[in-house]
Amino acid sequence: MEDELIDIKNTAISFILEAEDLESLEETKLQFLGRSGKLTLAIKGITKVAPEKRKEFGLLANEVKQTIEDALDTQKSKLKSQKVANVVERIDITNPGIKPNLGHLHLVTQAIEEISNIFARIGFERVRYPEIEWDWYAFEALNFPADHPARDDWETFFIKGEPDPKRGPMLLTPHTSSGQIREMERLGKPPIRMLNIAKCYRRQSDVSHAPMFHQFEGLVIDKDISITHLKGVLDYFAKSFFGSNRQSRIRPYHFQFTEPSFEVDVTCGICLGKGCKLCKEGWLEMGGAGMVHPNVLKAGGIDPQKYTGFAFGWGVERVLMMREGLKIDDLRILYSNNLDFLAQF
Amino acid sequence: MNIKILDSWLRDYVKTKATPQKIGELLSLSSVSVERLEKYEADFIYDIEITTNRPDLMGVVGLARETATVLKQNGIDASFVAPKLTKPQTPKTNLIEITNDPKLVNRLCAVVMDVKIGESSKEIKERLEASGTRSLNNLIDITNYVMKTIGHPTHVFDFDRLNTKTLIIREAKKGEVIKTLDEKDYSLNGGEIVAVNDQNEIVDLLGIMGLQNSVVTAKTKRILYFINNNQPAKIRKASMTLGIRTEAAVINEKNLDAELAYDALLYGIEMFAKIAGGKIVSDIIDLYPNKVTKHYVEVSLEKINQVIGVSIDPEKALQSLSNLGFKAQIVGGKIKAEVPSFRIGDVEIEEDIIEEIARIYGYHNLPSVLPPQTAIAAHKFADQFYFEQRVKSAMKYWGFTEVYSYSMVSQELFEGPLEEAVEISNPLSEDMIYMRKTLVPSLLKVVSENKNKEVIKIFEIANVYNKRTKDLPQELMTFAGVIKKNKVTFFETKGLLEQLCYDLGIKNLSFKQSEKSGNGASVYIEKEYLGEIEILDANLIDFELNFELLLRHATLKKEYKPLNKFPPIIEDLSIAVNSDIKTEDIIANIYSQSNLVIDVSLKDTYKDSRTFHINYQDPEKNLTNEEVSEIRKKITSSLKEKFKASVR
Repeated sequence: MEDELIDIKNTAISFILEAEDLESLEETKLQFLGRSGKLTLAIKGITKVAPEKRKEFGLLANEVKQTIEDALDTQKSKLKSQKVANVVERIDITNPGIKPNLGHLHLVTQAIEEISNIFARIGFERVRYPEIEWDWYAFEALNFPADHPARDDWETFFIKGEPDPKRGPMLLTPHTSSGQIREMERLGKPPIRMLNIAKCYRRQSDVSHAPMFHQFEGLVIDKDISITHLKGVLDYFAKSFFGSNRQSRIRPYHFQFTEPSFEVDVTCGICLGKGCKLCKEGWLEMGGAGMVHPNVLKAGGIDPQKYTGFAFGWGVERVLMMREGLKIDDLRILYSNNLDFLAQF
Repeated sequence: MNIKILDSWLRDYVKTKATPQKIGELLSLSSVSVERLEKYEADFIYDIEITTNRPDLMGVVGLARETATVLKQNGIDASFVAPKLTKPQTPKTNLIEITNDPKLVNRLCAVVMDVKIGESSKEIKERLEASGTRSLNNLIDITNYVMKTIGHPTHVFDFDRLNTKTLIIREAKKGEVIKTLDEKDYSLNGGEIVAVNDQNEIVDLLGIMGLQNSVVTAKTKRILYFINNNQPAKIRKASMTLGIRTEAAVINEKNLDAELAYDALLYGIEMFAKIAGGKIVSDIIDLYPNKVTKHYVEVSLEKINQVIGVSIDPEKALQSLSNLGFKAQIVGGKIKAEVPSFRIGDVEIEEDIIEEIARIYGYHNLPSVLPPQTAIAAHKFADQFYFEQRVKSAMKYWGFTEVYSYSMVSQELFEGPLEEAVEISNPLSEDMIYMRKTLVPSLLKVVSENKNKEVIKIFEIANVYNKRTKDLPQELMTFAGVIKKNKVTFFETKGLLEQLCYDLGIKNLSFKQSEKSGNGASVYIEKEYLGEIEILDANLIDFELNFELLLRHATLKKEYKPLNKFPPIIEDLSIAVNSDIKTEDIIANIYSQSNLVIDVSLKDTYKDSRTFHINYQDPEKNLTNEEVSEIRKKITSSLKEKFKASVR
């Protein structure tokens, strides 16, 4: 009985595939699935099947029926589209297409996505830490002296309210470096390989500064971490993000929370290092970096005799501008949300 | 800050055949950044950025020392020629008595000289002009010239106009008034460092700017040449609150070497004698209460190699330090260095010495090596960032544009009672004073600023800030959107959120009549409040959701059910029912009649009639018409009984 079902299926399929028009296809359908079609009759024969095998027979019969129906449908649409193909010359294909919806992601989101992916490949774990922070995390633990200009009212936004007796006043973090201590606290001990991307705020608003911006901060702490490792990560990022034709370098600079400290440069995308009007003798500054200051390690509960590390904090908007060669007159357009502007990205 | 100096001026103190281009390049790599090298007639100007820790490089002499060091390191002949300064013979007379306050001024050097006012030499004029300082007369020019050579600001008073036998250094009191030499009036805030004469008139705003009542004039014959090394924080505060940002103030607010004050005195005396006919008529006053003390730093050779990452020749390291002015030697595997006075405060720990050695060795000479991966924590693929990106992409492909608006808002855009606001104490403007508690007002502002667009679909994912007592505010990741469109419907917004939640694997999403005033719905996941859909008018709808709650429920987990072997029976059921009856309740009722009802959806509504699409299926066998009609009967009688529905 089961063999009969299989035979019917095979015969039906071959008939269906040979059908050259919709009429003969319909005929085939009747021949197998009609009231006195071959399959219909075979299924009626279920009464001759031993009772314990009936369920199995029923399942198989359904499957066969389904297969034949599917084959009919497929062949039907194939024959139909052949018909359509014959009339294709009547369409003006230069008429506009009907497009699915498409919006735009903000260019900062696009940059963050790309940066995260680049660093993920070399084992950096992405995190996000508070935008409103205690002075302790933003300055004190990062080795800023009490009278450092960044801590005064002209450069950093402060939040109204009583300062915490231990952690000082609340403020809008001016850099993602405040995440360094938080990450050391979270993990307790090295190895650390952090990528902190977050909003930052500084009390500055002009064509090249928005009071709110984004930074990405890398932090690596382990045994025997050296300046050569910082250079390795920097080169990897610069080549991945800007392209293999761009060079990078570090040179001396000064930050409170790193020692030694570096400024990181990438060759200008316009002149590729020859020197032009848009760069500084062939180079563009990407941002700061350095070896984590021993006082910062101590503040994060890590023994600076056992471990060393490096950190960098770069502006998302800045690297974006450096790569795209976007000649944006006023950086604040990123946050003014002119939809025609956003639609370009 | 940046300084500009002429190449020829630098070469007074460093003897070398290196080209300006080479000097610029090597300084950038190993010392300070030469941002531009500009041709200036037959000369060149270096435009150099000096970091705040290196005020010693604000003078040509300091730069020359660095230049010679980096040239020698790179195998180029160079020698640093320090200025030779000697204390001149002076009469033993005291023409003025100065009372210092050691809490305000670390060192104070002064001398009275007879001078002839006039023009400066062409060379001095040119050097000053090229550095961006206007030449005025020889007396003022000398103060600037000395500052730019030695690196310490200096000042000159008209001694006769001071008209006093004493000068007292003290803090200003609030409300005291002064007129600066550029004829501007200021009312002091208190705490500024000032000098007062014996008539109790303020005659100087120390470290920042001279005053109109004591400045040299065309008639000046006798000067008090005056150098003060101050407490930097006092200068910073005064300069910023008064808004007077002179070059002197910017230098004085850094940690300046008090030893340089005396160099500046001697060099100035020499210059007055040379170009202003200067003759010393008083003894030199040198009040030096806060003497610089010697400072030593030790670091092991092992640590140097570990931090730099390559093996450094100790002898070369010693040579670099010595060229930079350190006295260094190797004792028992360690470098012990005495820090020169002009680097005290900057070089204090092991790492500072390592930096000196490494930068002179040349960072560009170090290899690039990726750090070894010693251990790596397990990574959760579908973390918060993954879902955030997934939501953003979905929105993009559904036609929405993402915006980023400022976290700080005006009072007008702030929603909620102001006592609950996280407020900035020093805002840049009233437009950005509160940390927002909701996103929608910012999005509506974007809509109103893009008036020319008939259709707008925007969204943002950002933090909102909720005040907490004695703790940082709660930062709650929030997801909001606005649709502006002719006859936008509630249902397309609801459908958007439903589809989004479906994609995030979130079940049990429900919509209830909004408890807030206005038209719309409150959205829940199970019993937890997710957010709100708000109908603002016929063309404007917004939504705002707790994104963290979405993330907590989001999952990539899928459940596999074996595909059904038996075909379903599908039919439509139209009923007329009172419009108060909720579709949701009808659907729930239909489901409850039999577990063979596997899917029910509203297909259509017309006036008071609703058509439901019902799917019956038995996983075990083929359903017969009899079985289905049995269930249908149960459904219709239940609908009649419960909702007074009549079947069409």
